[in-house]
Amino acid sequence: MPGFVIRRLGTMLLTALCLTFIVFALTNMQPRLETLAKTQGSARMSDAEVQSWLAREGFDRPMLERYGEWLGVVPGWTREQADGTLRGRCIDRAGDAAAGTRCGVLQGYWGSSTRFNAEVGAVIGARLGATGMLMLWVVIVMVPSALAIGVLAGMREGSRTDRSLSTVSIVSTATPEYVSGVIFIALFASSTFGLSPLLREWGLMEANTLFLGNARSAMDRITFWNFTLPVMTIAMYGMGYIARMTRASMAEVMTQQYIRTARLKGASFPAVVLRHALRNALIAPFTVIMLQFPWLLNGVVIVEVLFSYPGFGWALVEGASNNDIELLLACSVVAVIVVLATQLISDIGYAWLNPRIRVG
Amino acid sequence: MRTITEHQPAPHPAALRYAAEYRDGRLGRREFLTRATALGMGAGAACGLIGVSARGALAQDHGAGTHGGTLRIQMDLKAMKEPRRFDWSELANFCRGWLEYLVEYNRDGTLRGMLLEDWEASDDASTYTLHLRRGVRWNNGDPFIAEDVAHNFALWCDESVAGNSMATRMTPLIDPATGRLRAGAVEILDDHTLQLHLATPSVAIIADISDYPAAVVHRSFNGGDPVENPLGTGPFLPEHYDTGLRGALVRNAGHDWWGSDAGAYLDRIEFVDLGTDPSSWLAAAEGGEIDMLYQTTGDFIDLFDAIGMSRSETVTAATLAVRFNQDSPPFDARDVRRAIQMAVDNGVVLELGYDDRGAPGENHHVAPLHPEYADIGPPRHDPEAAREMLASAGHGDTVFELISLDDSWQSASCDAVAAQMRDAGMRVERAILPGATFWNDWMAFPFSATEWNMRPLGVQVLALAYRTDGAWNETAFSNAEFDALLAEANSLADVDARRAVMARLQEILRDEGVLIQPYWRAVFRHFRPHVRNAGIHPTFEMHLYKYWLES
Repeated sequence: MPGFVIRRLGTMLLTALCLTFIVFALTNMQPRLETLAKTQGSARMSDAEVQSWLAREGFDRPMLERYGEWLGVVPGWTREQADGTLRGRCIDRAGDAAAGTRCGVLQGYWGSSTRFNAEVGAVIGARLGATGMLMLWVVIVMVPSALAIGVLAGMREGSRTDRSLSTVSIVSTATPEYVSGVIFIALFASSTFGLSPLLREWGLMEANTLFLGNARSAMDRITFWNFTLPVMTIAMYGMGYIARMTRASMAEVMTQQYIRTARLKGASFPAVVLRHALRNALIAPFTVIMLQFPWLLNGVVIVEVLFSYPGFGWALVEGASNNDIELLLACSVVAVIVVLATQLISDIGYAWLNPRIRVG
Repeated sequence: MRTITEHQPAPHPAALRYAAEYRDGRLGRREFLTRATALGMGAGAACGLIGVSARGALAQDHGAGTHGGTLRIQMDLKAMKEPRRFDWSELANFCRGWLEYLVEYNRDGTLRGMLLEDWEASDDASTYTLHLRRGVRWNNGDPFIAEDVAHNFALWCDESVAGNSMATRMTPLIDPATGRLRAGAVEILDDHTLQLHLATPSVAIIADISDYPAAVVHRSFNGGDPVENPLGTGPFLPEHYDTGLRGALVRNAGHDWWGSDAGAYLDRIEFVDLGTDPSSWLAAAEGGEIDMLYQTTGDFIDLFDAIGMSRSETVTAATLAVRFNQDSPPFDARDVRRAIQMAVDNGVVLELGYDDRGAPGENHHVAPLHPEYADIGPPRHDPEAAREMLASAGHGDTVFELISLDDSWQSASCDAVAAQMRDAGMRVERAILPGATFWNDWMAFPFSATEWNMRPLGVQVLALAYRTDGAWNETAFSNAEFDALLAEANSLADVDARRAVMARLQEILRDEGVLIQPYWRAVFRHFRPHVRNAGIHPTFEMHLYKYWLES
């Protein structure tokens, strides 16, 4: 088991290294750097000014060297400015004494975000925190309801309950977020269309809209009003998928010999489902649920942008559209960690739930 | 040199001429006020000259408001820069809370002294005397003196600072040898009086120092982020500024602001950056999360009307320049440019591209709004002749690519241009680029459309965009006669004399086929009905101290 975990951590490190190098190479292509110079310097700089800006900010050196600086294995660049003062990667952060030292990921410095004008560590921390809240609520809504739907549908395969619940889950999982999000906003968050004007007319509602179609205020205070739509949009999609998996697994378990035995010995149907079928039926959905987490982290991109909720996905889009190099690098590291860590947990948990499988 | 204690300016001779023109109906009230105030008259005195009640003319800015409340504004919050490097009005709008300007360009076309009490120009527009407002203090208690202003001119004139957008406006004060403020160009006469000595006459200098990068900083300021050390003369203080997210200004209770008897009504002003998609602004407005927008465009104007927000509108000299880069073949051939111009009916572009919200342009980038505008008639529209002209230039089968930003009205306008070119038998492809890509290359595209904000005077845009050495010359237009005439126009205080020169300048621009300038835009802003005095400004300035909320 420890060997397995160490191997997995090694894979994680290697993947992160490869991915960040690719991201670094892509964001450091010359046209991208020029974009960066223009957003940072002035939107209407001339080509000569762009070149001098790139030189002043240390972008005129070989890419590998700068990647090494970001990692913290090569000392940060320093350069004397026209007015005699020193500038450099580490000096901008820690003062003149830091000239010639290393400051990179290994030293705990993730660089600075050009888009947000702040250190990447702080930006990623704050944005991941916001996404964490979103994911927490999504999981709270999604997992129990998906399992309930799946179990109810799968315990009597082919029944009317099964048919209708399956239809619901197929529809929900076949609707991507960018469709369901827009439909939700139109139906629930418009003062002139959908449900809100009706409710107001009937005197059931005081507010202008049933829900808020923009989750920016959830950054400070999460309320039922401002958080329902983004949470529902994400939860709907994942819910259908997990419910389908649970149903299949449940239906399979219900045909097993031991279930029939339990029925024959006189156990009531609810007791059979809860005591005998449930644990075995949850093995497959457990993996699916764990695999939903990395997907959640990436899938929230659409929802966070749609509802302008400043989480990880939103920061990723902002970083990408402004060529914020170091922010994008940190984002890719986070993505690698989340994907591989959840897979690790999923493997270990699978072995725990299913004694027939051993990790190691 | 005289020392001025009590200042009572005599009307500038040109101002008297403008007053006569106004009475003859040759000059509108708005143009008259811009011109007269640019020459150093107070708005009140200028109104007196034409027999308009100053109180009536200025009421829209000075309506007594109610104190208190929080205003929440949707606006992009880009990474902050030092003021002279501002490249977006949004940056300035946030800093307007505590950084003020020498002169303010108002919605009604007047230039009003803020940190200047008033100013005078010499007859040939080459010497300006600036009289500072007395009793102004910085929020650290220092008095505001001539040394502060001189320091700002030095900052503005420093060409060595990359992206210093004021340096392009301050050319007559810069020593070309050093790229800095010319010795003796700014002369301090006493603590409250300065004189500017321009190397070349300029009628635009007062309008230039009202522009958004000209925020006045303290004499100790030497670059850096103004939010970190918010030393200013204005009535608010920044509470926080999170790039891309939000910012807040609060009223600075400990500061004795010079204008406090008529302004700074709000307790708190919050800015929210909701991204560039107007549908999320709409969602936030419907939920009551924001009270006011920075600007409303396109189809969203009707949508914001529909949810019960008040609309404010103003006609501007802002435009979309569908321009050719003359360095890129085939647009180096004048006949190609002329033919494409002739294929396009500007009225149709206005209707299809901008919902008829504005006035048709005349392909020379000087607006009827500008005081020196000369009416040289509408441009010629003749698709048949255009087709023949293009064929005889040998480009009948050339495929043109028209590039635009992925902004709805800009791409719709370009689609309308392209469609009319196709109607005239030309082969056109369209490319729509996202902002980051577009602004990376905007000066170099062979054939593309650029949004231009307005300047108070016609000569200002011409100097910036079409002079050979213009900082934002995206057309690569270089014409010795044009440059010489423009210099001449800049030294003519007499608007009729200048209009004669302008007529020639406008003709050159049009005859050379420099650009298709389809329309002058009206701009719009929506706010909730209880927001007062917050009408949209033609150059998107937010005069925060004027805004108030009806309780």
